[in-house]
Amino acid sequence: MKPLNLIALLLFLGGAVWALTRLDPAVRDIQATYYSAISPFLKSGSALETRARAYLNEVHHSKELEVQLQEVEGRMGRLELIEERFRNLERENSQLRHALKFEEATSFDVVAARITRRQPTTWWQTVEIDRGGLAKIGPQLPVLSNEGLVGKVDLVRDDRSSVILLTDEKCQVSAKVEGSPEVGILSGQRGKFEGTPMLRLRFLSKDAVLRQGQRVFTTGRGGLFPPNILLGTIESVDKGSLDSEASVRPAVNFADLGTVFVVLTADD
Amino acid sequence: MIRYTLITLFLVLAAFVLQQFLPAFTGLHNARILLVQLVFLCAAVTVGTPTMLLLAYVCGFLWDAQCGLGPAGGDPEIYSQPVESLRFGYSVLLFGGMGYLMQGIQPLFREGKWQFSALLTGIAVFLYLSAEYALITFVRGEFILTRATVLQVLITSLLTMLFSPLVFWLLFTISNLCQHTIRFDGIKRKKRYH
Repeated sequence: MKPLNLIALLLFLGGAVWALTRLDPAVRDIQATYYSAISPFLKSGSALETRARAYLNEVHHSKELEVQLQEVEGRMGRLELIEERFRNLERENSQLRHALKFEEATSFDVVAARITRRQPTTWWQTVEIDRGGLAKIGPQLPVLSNEGLVGKVDLVRDDRSSVILLTDEKCQVSAKVEGSPEVGILSGQRGKFEGTPMLRLRFLSKDAVLRQGQRVFTTGRGGLFPPNILLGTIESVDKGSLDSEASVRPAVNFADLGTVFVVLTADD
Repeated sequence: MIRYTLITLFLVLAAFVLQQFLPAFTGLHNARILLVQLVFLCAAVTVGTPTMLLLAYVCGFLWDAQCGLGPAGGDPEIYSQPVESLRFGYSVLLFGGMGYLMQGIQPLFREGKWQFSALLTGIAVFLYLSAEYALITFVRGEFILTRATVLQVLITSLLTMLFSPLVFWLLFTISNLCQHTIRFDGIKRKKRYH
């Protein structure tokens, strides 16, 4: 081997070892620097895409959109009234609980976000949303849709964040089965992203008696997800010698996700 | 030579930006065109070992910065068996390995037979993805290999390979503009015949 090639190889290996020994906070800093460097390109790319889509929509569906807009405006006004009433009731409820010295019930605020990109990486089940640190979004916050739990926030930038979906193996959720004492850990399955990706509910008791269609909810334990959020329904149960495992059909249709909600504060 | 090296480095960086806008083909088992790997593999066969290693390092480092997942989080008493992620920096070694593989057939490329390099691009991407999946399996345990995963790897390799002639054409154009020769023997042979 030529001396120059040998020196280059040694430098390369030294650099690789340096990279491999970085700790999580340092890796996060590197990722933040990388994304801030390419952020102008991402922003202009997204803006271009949005403009192109808006133009096409305008050309093809301007009348339909006008009708839809009026409908949405009407619905929004109605929801604003309901929200106002809900906030008043929540405040009143909180005051009453306080007066009765009850433990504070779970309360949370949400930020609506739009999914801008799906599966930006090869192996991980992630999506990118158009809200980030500027909207007070932080890492590990739960992400919901109107159907149930979608996943949790992974990497946060100023104006966008990545969300690791419930269908990914790495997104683990402490879960309970409705109408039974069974609790376990729910997660996605490796390489199962065709059709409706089924979830695995592991570490159930050996003699777990569950039936198809029973609903699965978050327990609220573990400090990541608020309690009683719908995760899915039991599809089948596989009994093992030490514990049982159930196959769960997710409540959320991950193929049709448009708008999601990031839970900003969650008190157990 | 330096100009060509700098332009290849710039091409790799541009590939990172473009990769952000290349979605996965959900109808084709979530396959995608791996533009960064493609540009690196095509460039690796046209440069010397030190430059190839520099490109491999830049690609691996930035790829992990782009694709790495954060820590699992949560109470360790509840989530007692967290799912491990691949360590930051593993791609540096994978890119280095792929680069050496491409350099193995550099003599053929220099004779002007770029078609073999184009074919090897597909094989290298297949090996890269297989190695990545094997590492995930090793770190997380449980050997799970579904038909969907195999098809995803195969189609991704094939799609990426299909675009390699375009990248080679771009590299040949750049080398001509930089007056840098990347196909010595092929040129010599042509001169001998005429």
